[in-house]
Amino acid sequence: MAQFRGKKLDLGCFVNIMNIRDHTKRKVFEQHEPERQALRYIIRNTSLPQRTRAQAQLELSQMHCYTRPTQIRNRCVMGAKGRGVFRDFRMARFQFRLNALAGNIPGVKKASW
Amino acid sequence: MASPAYYESLLSSAKRLRISTPKPSLSNSIQCRALSQTATTQARQDRPTRSRRNSSQSSIKDDPLRMELRNIRLPKAVQATYLAPLKRTPTHGIPVCDLQMRSYSVRNLEIFADFCLRAAYYLNLPAKGPVPLPKITERWTVPKSNFVHKKSQENFERVTMRRLVQIQDGHPETVALWLAYIQKNRYYGVGLKANVFEHGGLEVGSEMDAEATKVKDAVDEKLKLLGGGPSMSRAHQRVNTMVHDEPFKAAYGAYSPMNQAESVPNAAERLVTVPLDPEVPEQMKEAARARRG
Repeated sequence: MAQFRGKKLDLGCFVNIMNIRDHTKRKVFEQHEPERQALRYIIRNTSLPQRTRAQAQLELSQMHCYTRPTQIRNRCVMGAKGRGVFRDFRMARFQFRLNALAGNIPGVKKASW
Repeated sequence: MASPAYYESLLSSAKRLRISTPKPSLSNSIQCRALSQTATTQARQDRPTRSRRNSSQSSIKDDPLRMELRNIRLPKAVQATYLAPLKRTPTHGIPVCDLQMRSYSVRNLEIFADFCLRAAYYLNLPAKGPVPLPKITERWTVPKSNFVHKKSQENFERVTMRRLVQIQDGHPETVALWLAYIQKNRYYGVGLKANVFEHGGLEVGSEMDAEATKVKDAVDEKLKLLGGGPSMSRAHQRVNTMVHDEPFKAAYGAYSPMNQAESVPNAAERLVTVPLDPEVPEQMKEAARARRG
């Protein structure tokens, strides 16, 4: 969503609307995490009045979808691919192969055993 | 093949490039580790060489001052750098610090482990190691192509080498100094991880109690400044009693089933109540009254 997006580009990786979007989601989630956790706590706390808890439930469900952690997906920093991304290198499999063969990834070599 | 720097005298280090050394024999390369280098170097210099610069070399050779300088032995500390690192012997053998080094290249790792041991020696710390820990091998298999064709794949691996250096019987401050020195002189491509163990006396409990009372005094002083003090603690008690008060608990539904649904409105009026017998003790009556609201 454009209202969350930074006014200036604050990404150092491959720039693409998918990567920008994912980056924005990460930032928004980080900003709203305490609020979300507080609401979750209120909802789960059985010693609180039912009314308060219902209100907290409503409030949590009405928060923007960008504040949810489930919206975050690991994307390839070299090509914004969403699938086959190695967590260790934050790269999709093909980009990983190219960079490994070029010797850009420390310690990674062709294996044969 | 370049000759090791210590073959030459202190003065002629610049001339090292000009003088072409004869092929070092096996015996010479073995003697690299020996302390007395001067004699063998001398012998090698005296040997006739077939190089074109024989005339210039002979002039250098004939200079008695240079010859004398050539015979001066290297300082002990410099000689020691060509030998295996020295180690202090531990008196008690109590481990104080475990330093683990990790790298993808053995050479960097070996060099740095050596450096760490030397640093420990000159800080008077008994060190053990370097212990080669098991390698960590990670492997990845990826399709060669960027799209489909799963049948042709490629394997990649990353092998992490590890070395452990253990410090024994060291004073915590010295160990901290050692670690700081090592961190300051880190080597490229080598990661460090240190586990530092501290040992206390048997009176840890009493020491901690003393510390706790000290902390409590300090905190009390701060609390006085806040304007709390005894009045605040009284308020705290009042709040406590309120929270545990029966009517208060009933008001927020603590007695309702599952502890969450609000109690039925006007439940007290809608209950069929049976008057209590006169012989029921006064306390129970009180409780019942409280429960009714």
